[in-house]
Amino acid sequence: MPTLTIDNLEVTVPEGTNVLEAARALDIVIPHFCYHEALGAVGACRLCAMRISDGKVSGIQMACMVKARDGMVVSTLDPEAVELRGHVIEWLMTNHPHDCPVCDEGGECQLQEMTIAGGHGNRRYTGKKRTYDNQDLGPYIAHEMNRCIACYRCVRTYRDYCGGLDFGVFGSRDRVYFGRVRDGQLESPFSGNLVDVCPTGVFTDKTFRFRSRPWDLQEAPSICPLCSLGCATVPGARFREVQRVRAGINREVNGFFICDRGRFGNGATNDPQRPRRPRVDGAQVAMETAIDTLRERVAAVIAKYGPQSVALLGSPRASLEANTLLHDWARDLGTTRLVFDAHAEQDRAARITEAHLEHQARSLNDIRHSDLVVLVGTDPLSEGPMLALAVRQAVRAGGGVVVIGPKPIDLPCRCSHLPVSADQLDDALRCLAGGSADALAAELRDALKELRDRLAAAQRPVMAGGPELLGSRGVNTLFETVEALSTAERPMGAMLLLNGPNSYGGAMLAGRGPNFDMLLDGIDEGRIHALICLETDPCRDARNPARARTALDRLELLVTLDALPTHAALNADIFLPTSTWVESDGAFVNNEGRLQAFARVMEPGLPLRATSPDSYPPREFFLETPGSEPWPAWRILARLLGRSEELSVLRREIADADPRFAPLADLAPDAPGIRLTTTPGLPHYQLDRETPG
Amino acid sequence: MNDLLPQNRIDEFRAKAATIEHPRELIVDALRAVQSHYGWVPDAGVDLVAELLGVLPVEVEEIATFYDKIYRRPVGKRVIHICDSICCWAAGGEELATHLQRTLGIGFGETTADGVFTLLPTCCLGACGEAPAMMVGLTTYGSLTAAKVDTILAQLRTETGA
Repeated sequence: MPTLTIDNLEVTVPEGTNVLEAARALDIVIPHFCYHEALGAVGACRLCAMRISDGKVSGIQMACMVKARDGMVVSTLDPEAVELRGHVIEWLMTNHPHDCPVCDEGGECQLQEMTIAGGHGNRRYTGKKRTYDNQDLGPYIAHEMNRCIACYRCVRTYRDYCGGLDFGVFGSRDRVYFGRVRDGQLESPFSGNLVDVCPTGVFTDKTFRFRSRPWDLQEAPSICPLCSLGCATVPGARFREVQRVRAGINREVNGFFICDRGRFGNGATNDPQRPRRPRVDGAQVAMETAIDTLRERVAAVIAKYGPQSVALLGSPRASLEANTLLHDWARDLGTTRLVFDAHAEQDRAARITEAHLEHQARSLNDIRHSDLVVLVGTDPLSEGPMLALAVRQAVRAGGGVVVIGPKPIDLPCRCSHLPVSADQLDDALRCLAGGSADALAAELRDALKELRDRLAAAQRPVMAGGPELLGSRGVNTLFETVEALSTAERPMGAMLLLNGPNSYGGAMLAGRGPNFDMLLDGIDEGRIHALICLETDPCRDARNPARARTALDRLELLVTLDALPTHAALNADIFLPTSTWVESDGAFVNNEGRLQAFARVMEPGLPLRATSPDSYPPREFFLETPGSEPWPAWRILARLLGRSEELSVLRREIADADPRFAPLADLAPDAPGIRLTTTPGLPHYQLDRETPG
Repeated sequence: MNDLLPQNRIDEFRAKAATIEHPRELIVDALRAVQSHYGWVPDAGVDLVAELLGVLPVEVEEIATFYDKIYRRPVGKRVIHICDSICCWAAGGEELATHLQRTLGIGFGETTADGVFTLLPTCCLGACGEAPAMMVGLTTYGSLTAAKVDTILAQLRTETGA
């Protein structure tokens, strides 16, 4: 831990920190372009000049290239260093088109900030500027090469960090060009990160083009709801619609980047088809009326058939708060027919994961630093793309990747593949753990034995799997295998890609309750007459959607709380519109058991694009915001249960009622999150032990 | 593809790429082979080199566009690279460049109407000792004067049969 002096202030930083970062620790921000925490230092932009007095490296130095050392004395205010930075920025600006008024980057442009910070305010260069033709890079990324200052961040992000193969840097001297060989959509599933890393407006979000200045956006730290990894995002909203999503920073999870699905797949909130009005028997009513009716109808069903005739279905999409209130409601009603994932197999996998993960839990950051990752029966680019990116970082740092599964999968890095059919994955895992595996081909057994030796030699091995192919039994075997291959000195880690952003939270609440297939049996056999669906559509999410559809038709009472225009929402007897994750505060527990909060970005409302498509401001005025009927699901349930509708109070109640959720009481968004400990004192969840529905 | 590179050279590059650890290192050779056969390197030439060496088209294009002696656009039969660096400026290189443009009737980056000459400025040729200098093909001409340039042009024109 070297202690150094920067501008007469002392600072102690971890070993290996560069001087630029050390200065930043003192809130001294020196202009820089090429340095980026995730990409490292290359010392190419020549902007972060500081004077270092005394020691082996002294004089004017590029601060990003110098490691902080004990006793070092650094000046960022040295006149020569300041002048040098001024000249460098002036030179970087010679070809810049000064088109800030029409540039989407304006307002969050690092080049603007660094130019001002560098002291360059007067243009002296009067020569011709070099200009470029732009490329059509597809529907997501806009290209404006004239603004480029050749910092190389894009190519370092796209090619080096994300492993994209269709982007490069062409030409030489002041004609350097960043783009594709020919026009065409960028192929990398992480292409959107170009928008975040480009310090100026060369790469901007085409879906957001000319929509808003960043200072006009409502933004808040959020969590991506599109898979179970829980990446940090910052959605931006204006005119009552989500206009863009950019990556948030969570060094434990996604680091600095997100996948294109998380960035561009945010249409649900703005969907004009989204059901926004509460309905009872098809007629629009006020939310309060709908909630009262819900209470009465459920009471009527219970009066007629008993409490067990009511079944409740939570979901991996719903917040921990909403799922917990659903759990409390079931307890109040006296029904044990409570499930948190309509897909019985994914549900089981999540519960097994929750019960077994414990010390085997690994974050994406752990995977980035693993020296051997084994992917079993999973396709990260479809089940959790950022896992693929984490695996790539492990490979870049010298680690290995072995894929075990029926077919080779696309990964943004080199990997070896052991072909194993889906029905033999379980045997293969057992064989890897050292068990006998006569059913497997001799060749495969040898390969698995070799892999076992490699795992034994690895320092930080992790095994990651996907329940979709593994099935719950395979997930169980995966944990046994990891346990068998672990030693006290050298534990092995596991990561499971679960069904949704809150699968783990649902599993914590589910305990040994039934699964949804059992509830379907109950409906078919006439034991269950009412079903409450919380932000889920069994007709889409169940293991057998067709069966769920038939079962739903048999119900006396179908209640749906949701934000999506699903079958269950449109055909519910009572429909209660919920707000989406950008319109509500809440918390998810990600696939490694990490509890993370997301903050509300905007209030629900019909986008102005829908209410006044041709003009702004709107010409008609209402006291109520059109389309503002949805409530957060937890608020609907809190009203129903007579609980506090203040989220902080609710969270404290949940934390007090269940010690596992204790961190919820003080949970803040824009933080790395807190990994929850698994059920204390309870034996492990076992297969085939669910209470029948 | 045959007009880009003769079959024997295609086979040669393919075979060599298969035996070396980093086929990337053959990119310049392969691009030059296409150029000397075809005259310049069209898009299809970039794709051909990538395919022959088993590398990405983007890797080939990065190299092809980095070097100004690889021509990614049609050029004349002879490309004149006139040095555009400080020693040559000091020794009358700029006057010589003007003379060349006037004599050939073209500007930098242009090709004469008969398709014989293309004129390009180039960074230092490393011939500062005999500045001003220019390079045509693999031959460097130093200590140039307007008269000397005229002689060289005439000679080159004869060589190309124009």
